[in-house]
Amino acid sequence: MYRKQVRRRRAVLAFLIACSFVLLTVTFGRSGGGLQEGVSTVFSPVQGVADRALKPARDLVNWFDETFEARGENGRLEELLAAARRQAAAGQVALQENAELRGLLRLDGDPAIGAAGFRVRSGRVIARSPTVWHSTVTVDLGSGDGVAVDDPVLSGEGLAGRVISVQPGSAQVALLTDNSSAVSAKVVPSGVQGVVEPDIGDPEDLILDFIDSTRSVRRGQLVVTAGWRAQGRASLFPANVPVGEVTRASIEEQEASQQVHVRPFADLANLDLVQVLTGGRR
Amino acid sequence: MIVTPRILARLVAIAVGGVLLQLSFFSRVAVFQTSADALPALVVVLGLLGGSMTGAVAGFSIGLLVDCLTAGTLGASSLVLLGVGYLAGLFRERFDAHGSLVPPLLCMGLTLFAELGFGAVQAMLGLEAPVSVVVVRDMLLKSVFAFFLAWPTFLLVRRVLRPALVEEALPRRTRRTTASGV
Repeated sequence: MYRKQVRRRRAVLAFLIACSFVLLTVTFGRSGGGLQEGVSTVFSPVQGVADRALKPARDLVNWFDETFEARGENGRLEELLAAARRQAAAGQVALQENAELRGLLRLDGDPAIGAAGFRVRSGRVIARSPTVWHSTVTVDLGSGDGVAVDDPVLSGEGLAGRVISVQPGSAQVALLTDNSSAVSAKVVPSGVQGVVEPDIGDPEDLILDFIDSTRSVRRGQLVVTAGWRAQGRASLFPANVPVGEVTRASIEEQEASQQVHVRPFADLANLDLVQVLTGGRR
Repeated sequence: MIVTPRILARLVAIAVGGVLLQLSFFSRVAVFQTSADALPALVVVLGLLGGSMTGAVAGFSIGLLVDCLTAGTLGASSLVLLGVGYLAGLFRERFDAHGSLVPPLLCMGLTLFAELGFGAVQAMLGLEAPVSVVVVRDMLLKSVFAFFLAWPTFLLVRRVLRPALVEEALPRRTRRTTASGV
């Protein structure tokens, strides 16, 4: 009797392992198809309700964590404030010039986004993947809102990721920290181009890889999307969307590995509201 | 564990509730810049209470649901979590350990195992980006969080599944006899 039970237990285990490998093989490198879409469609309203219900508890825990962190951040922010004051004066002049140029060109909204023909849809994050190996969020916008696979996703601060799967009422977004993420970007004002990749496991660090090692990149420089277009193909992202700021740029790393480290502007660990750019010319 | 249709419905409710709580709460709350992963702990508890078969099936189902809802590669989380559930159940069947520290320590150890497993599966599928050393801190912190999540999870799940647990049947009241027979 006991042996029969053990045999049955092992058979079930072998069957489940085989099922897992079959699923991995069949769905590797592409969408999970009908099953994934069906389950997401059924669960997205429930996730929306759960998201709203749990928001106060989430905010409470995050408040404690942010307060703890804020004490350490204070010194660094004071230094940044001094630098920002110096830049503010220059910024005021640029803003005035910008307003005049906008008036002349009659652009509506963000020039980079508007020029590329994108429409902006605002949505809320309702779920997030549990592991650092696979960094995705679910948003409450879907195909009914005009969202499609590969649409760029922004937070208030900068680029957050792109849509990888869409259902009628929800969509899954691969963040910049997802291991499948790669965004062509450039450093301003130097114009050095590269590909922004995640440093898996660290939500505050991205890597600008494949840069031209003969041109120097310095700490504090901005990184924006490149938005290239060539031979009928184009980047998924519009040009000049802020991605982050160069935080580490040692000469050794630039010459040996052709890479520098970038801190994303978007708070990818605590995304709540996002904007999906739908449509657009690609 | 005696699995009747009513108990099966409770198991499904626990799995769905656990996944929704993970994706909507634990994954979006960061303590020391790391979010807790309560799902390996939930699977461990189900394995501890129900045995290896219940643990494996629960792990597979919960993993599949997570992969569906996060647009992950189907089967990746299932493979890891079914291993976690099976090992937890096997522990219960092989060792007669009932100490109060058993669930937290097992949750901690098997959460670390699960995190390593997720990494191994991703490496098997092909990592397209470099891996930060911060990932080690993330794994260790997730294991520590699992230690603290284990007891509330264990007590809650045991309470919900109590009618199905053979060892949890209420003891029959017996009249205590004294030396004089009164």
